[in-house]
Parts: sequence; C-alpha cells; structure tokens
Amino acid sequence: MDIALIGNPNTGKTSLFNNLTGSYEYVGNWSGVTVEKKVGQFKNKKDKLIDLPGIYSLTPLSKDEGVVTQFLLSENVDKMINILDASQLERNLHLTIQLLEYGKPVVIGLNMMDVALKRGFQIEPNQLSNQIGIPLKPVIARTGKGCDMLAEAVTSERLPEPNARIVDYGKDIEEAILRFEKLFDNKPNQSTRWLALQMFEGNQYVIKYLENYIESEQLNQFLLEIKDAIKKSAGTSIDQFIFRKRKETINQIMTDAYIKREQIITPLSEKIDAIVTNKILGLPIFFLLMYLMFMLTFDWLGFPLSDLLDGFITGPLSQTIENLLQAAGASAFIHSLILDGIVAGVGGVLVFVPQIFILFFFISLLEDSGYMARVALVMDRLMEAVGLNGKAFIPMMIGFGCNVPGIMAARTIETPKERLLTILLTPLMSCSARLPVYALFVGAFFVQQKAFIVLSLYILGIAVALILAKLFSSTILKGETSFFVIELPPYRLPQFQALWRSTWDKGKGFVKKAGTFIFAGSVFIWLLSYIGPGGMDVALDDSYLAAIGGFIAPLFEPIGFNTWQAGASLITGFLAKEAIISTMNIIYFVPDEASLQGLLSDYFTPLAGYSFMVFILLYIPCLATVATIYKETGSKKWTAFSMVYALIAAYLLALIIYQGGKLLGFM
Amino acid sequence: MLGKLNKGEKCKIIDISRIDLLVRRRLLDLGITEGTEVCIKCYMPFGGPIMVESCGQCIGIRRVEAVQIEVERL
Repeated sequence: MDIALIGNPNTGKTSLFNNLTGSYEYVGNWSGVTVEKKVGQFKNKKDKLIDLPGIYSLTPLSKDEGVVTQFLLSENVDKMINILDASQLERNLHLTIQLLEYGKPVVIGLNMMDVALKRGFQIEPNQLSNQIGIPLKPVIARTGKGCDMLAEAVTSERLPEPNARIVDYGKDIEEAILRFEKLFDNKPNQSTRWLALQMFEGNQYVIKYLENYIESEQLNQFLLEIKDAIKKSAGTSIDQFIFRKRKETINQIMTDAYIKREQIITPLSEKIDAIVTNKILGLPIFFLLMYLMFMLTFDWLGFPLSDLLDGFITGPLSQTIENLLQAAGASAFIHSLILDGIVAGVGGVLVFVPQIFILFFFISLLEDSGYMARVALVMDRLMEAVGLNGKAFIPMMIGFGCNVPGIMAARTIETPKERLLTILLTPLMSCSARLPVYALFVGAFFVQQKAFIVLSLYILGIAVALILAKLFSSTILKGETSFFVIELPPYRLPQFQALWRSTWDKGKGFVKKAGTFIFAGSVFIWLLSYIGPGGMDVALDDSYLAAIGGFIAPLFEPIGFNTWQAGASLITGFLAKEAIISTMNIIYFVPDEASLQGLLSDYFTPLAGYSFMVFILLYIPCLATVATIYKETGSKKWTAFSMVYALIAAYLLALIIYQGGKLLGFM
Repeated sequence: MLGKLNKGEKCKIIDISRIDLLVRRRLLDLGITEGTEVCIKCYMPFGGPIMVESCGQCIGIRRVEAVQIEVERL
C-alpha cells in the first residue's frame, strides 16, 4: 500500500516519517526542508510511506507546494496520514478538510499536545476523532512516542470511509458540484467533489488537469457562472467564501471537541525572540553567531583536528601502506599510483572532514532550532533592496554547506522571478568543498589571519551575490512583485540525536564523494601526470597534464597565476571543487599538506594566492550544481547563463584584486 | 492600520481585502483573516518587516502589506 504523509510545515512531519519508517530522513525546523518526495518503508516491511513537502492548503502558491497537488493528481495513493500540530489546530484543520474531500482514507497523527497544553488548550483526542469522523492517534514525533500506535492504525485497521461532505458549502456550490459531475464523458480517478472545490478555489494544477477531460472554454464558462453566483449571493470572492464555510465547520468541531482555557504563559520562544529579532540587536547577533561559527570551524576547533588527521594520513597511514606495498613486492607503477595518486588525492581531501562536519553541524543547528526563519526575517529588508526577499537567504545559508540542497531549497520561494534569481546566485555561496582550497592557501600565505581571510571570502561571495541580484533584477529579470510572508516556528531545543543524524546526512556525501568521484579523479589525474607524449613515467613538466594545463594557463597571467598547475587544477575543479586540492597534491608531488604549502610559495605570491582563492570562490558552479540548476530551472539558457556570468564575475574580480593589489604595493 | 500600531499593542483585524491576492492567500493559510486578534511583536529596522503574533504563532510580513490591513485596537 502507498501511504502519503501530509501536513502543514513545521508540524514535525519529517520526524514522524523517520520514526514510522525507521529509516532516516533530513529533519529541519523551517518551512520547506522536504523539497522532494521521499519514500520509506514501514516497519512491517509491506507498506510504503511517502513524505511530501509541508503545505498549508492543496491550492499551491509555491512550486514546493505544487509537488503535493501534482502528486495527488497523478499518482496512486491508497491512504493518507495527516499530521496536525495540536497547538495550531484550527489552521491545520483546513488541510484536513481538503484531504477528507479527496476521498481516500485518512488517519490523523496529533502532534505537539504538550505545546498545546502549555498554551492553555486542552484537547480530548477521542472527542476530536469522533467529531471529524476518522481515527486519530496522539503522537510525539520528536521522541517517537505513540508512533507505533499510529503505524498500526494506518497499516492494519480497516479504515472508515472519510466524510467527504464534512463541510456543507451551501446551495449554490453544492448544486454546482452536481452539475460539474455531468460535464465529464469519462470520469477521472479523483473525487469530482474534490476536483470541483479545488477548481473553485483557483487551483491552477487542478484546472490544467481538468482540461484533459473538459474543453477549456466550457470549463471557463462554468467557473465564471459559479463565481458570479457567489459574488451575487454572498458578496465575496468564491475562494474566500469556501474558506469561510470551512472555518465555520472547524469552529463547530472545536467547540464540540475541545476546551480552551484562558490562562496563557508567555512561552520561552517569545522571550528569545524579543532578543534575537530585536530592532537594534537582531543583525549584530546574527553576525556574531556567524563569526563564532567560522572561528570554531576554521580556527579554534576545526583546524587542530584537521592537522591531527593530516598527521595521521601522511604519517602512520602512508607508512603502513608503503610497508605493505613493499612486502607485496608491488611494481614501481603500482607503488606510485597508490601513494602519489590515491593517497595524495583522496587523503588530501579527507583531511578536511573535521572542518566540514563542524560546519554542517552548525547549519543543522540553525535549521533545527528554528533560528533560520528569523534570519530570513532579519535579512528581508536588505534582500528587498536588491530585488529578493528574506526567504532567499535560507537557500543561500544552506548553500554554505553544499550548493545542491541550497538550490533545491529555493522551491519554497513563491514568486518565480525571485526563485530563479536565488537559484542563479546560490552557487556564489562558498560551499564546504571550496573550504579545503582556502585552508591550504591561508595555511601557506596567511597563517596569522587565517579565519579573517576565509571569512572575507565568504562575505565576498555574499556581497557579489547581492550586487548581482540588484543588477539582474533591474535588467534581465525586471517586473513581477516581490512577496514575503513567513511563518516563524517556535524555537525547539535541538535533540542531539537528530542533530547528529542531520550533520552526518549532509557530511556523508562529502566522504562518499572522496571515496568515489575524487578517488577515480585522482587515479585519472595521476595517470595524466604519469604519461606524456614521450611515453610513461615522464617528467611532470612533459606530461599530458602539463600540456593541457599549459594550454589555458596564459589566460590567467593577468590575474596572477600563469602556471600549468593552476590551469590543470581549475579544469578538474569544475568536476568537484575539492578536486582542486587532489590535483595540486598529485602534481606538486608532495607527501603532506605542510610541504605542499611550503612549495606553493614558489608558484604563488600571497596576492596571487588571494586572487586564486577569489577565482575559485566564484568561477563556475561544480558539475553537480550545474545539473541541479538545469533540473530546477528546466532551461538550458539559464543553466548556461549561471556558468557564464560566474566566470565573468570571477575573472573581473580577480583582475581587480590582483592588479589593484599590485598597484597598492602588495605582493 | 496594522503597520501604525506600537510594539506590544493588540488589535483585531477588520479588513484584509486591500492587500495583494498572493499575500492574502498566504495569510489565510496561516489563519490570519478578518476577526483574528493579533499582537505586534516587533519592527525590524530600516523599514523592514514586522513580526506579529496570533494564537501563539508568529508571522513576519512586510510593512507595505501591514499598512493595508485595517484593524481596530483592543
């Protein structure tokens, strides 16, 4: 059986999914963490659970929400679990009503009863269940309490038919629904009552779907008639009329099933909000948190850990491998392939695992605690000034970890123009794969100001993104109104387990990539450096790699790094940014990070090193990101644009920095 | 108007028909409609968004929209 999990954003849907299926999915605490349909298996191994993005209503505003409507229209679903936030019951029930109208059996998981109780709402689950007419189980999604009961209810019980007529919409609409049914020659799979109501509400996905069955002219005529009739009889638009009718029913359910107590305690959440969204303190607090995050990642904690790991890989590990190879009597070719190719290439990347995990930990913490939505609020004014809205900042923050999920998170942005702009600019956020490059170069040239130099690159990325946002939104992406309404979920104390899982989930991609992509890439690059036009085992400068790198190297003369090594590593950097480090480790032919840094000063001046870092920051989205941009925009033109503008911006900026720096007397 | 109240003041919404359709839809989704009681939590600096609270949930909206919402003080 296919069971869909549907609920409002921030109701603990993804936590519930994890507890019901035993598998792990990414959990977050801001609208739109689930940007794609995810499927898990129930613990009974028979039924499948489909996790869908959080929605307020089945009539979508953003692309993210459209996923659910599209799913209900085009795919088979046998049953549904509707998760409700008990503390926001009235609002959540609007969705429940629409699900009942859809006609498939529904079971409710009532979450956050504890929060509701603190706010002074007392809910009697059995009463509520009777009123709505479907099974209801209280759960605590975060800890998993009650989830077994819910799983049992939805998988084994014979579920009652839902009451699709729970709301009486009055004579006009009810008669229109009957007339609507007669318009079909052959009936669609979905309930016609649901289709009719969604169409009346203005659900574009449903209208488009109906055009497969009914001539669009006839459909329009029908819609106009009913809209006019409601305008005349009720004096309001039909969508508001439907909303009001549903609200009346919900109010009735509430009075019959649920007692409201008066006394309300100010939740801790509001006290925290009084500080972090304070008029004066809001922005400084945000910047302070960012600063702490960077210092911990690059300086206080991450750097010593990476150093330890580097020591281990280049010391004991390499030694052991070398001994093993010797004992096995490996040929010089194999010896070189493994030590100079694989260990140098993959090891050079793995060294940065601690720093990357620390960064991902903080991003998870920001998401899970509920602070991310506040960041959107605090940043909205600035983003509005450049033609975006505060929500665009969330994909960008996620982009600091990895650009791919960042770009996908842009789906929660309602207006197409702002969404496109966010997709195009998120690759400018310095992702964790670029971090090893900075770490290497600051270690070589800027030991004293490590964290400061890295921070300057992150800020530069944001600044370029904002400037380009302003440029693009006032030229090629003009028009269309901006839109910003955001729900600020209550703060939740992040649970260590969920945090760790979330960090691991994001970080494991990096480790996996090192084991596969970077591994294969390292072998390939090593081969290119090992063979040349003159045969095998040639001098590095006579290798194919030198020939390829040397071919494009003169282009980089004006920005400070006319060496074939830089050219070659930039090419591999398109495949994955951390491949730059692997390439450099292999071509500079050094045993460890420290000696590579020593060697770098022969090829780069500090100024050229900075220019190189700036170029790496901006020059092109990596292959995976390009693929995601194409998938999300569905446009070759915009995908090509995202690469070209980045290249131009990177070159110009590196040129200004290098040439300007030289004029100012920097080296 | 909602955008003209002071921080901490409570009010009841009486008309949201003047704001943009998309914004109104989203406000309805969040349970904000005529008759809802809201409390002003804070104003972001430089004319930034305002944060309002209703039934224990907080929502951020822009000031442009807030001034189009007719309210009465409570």
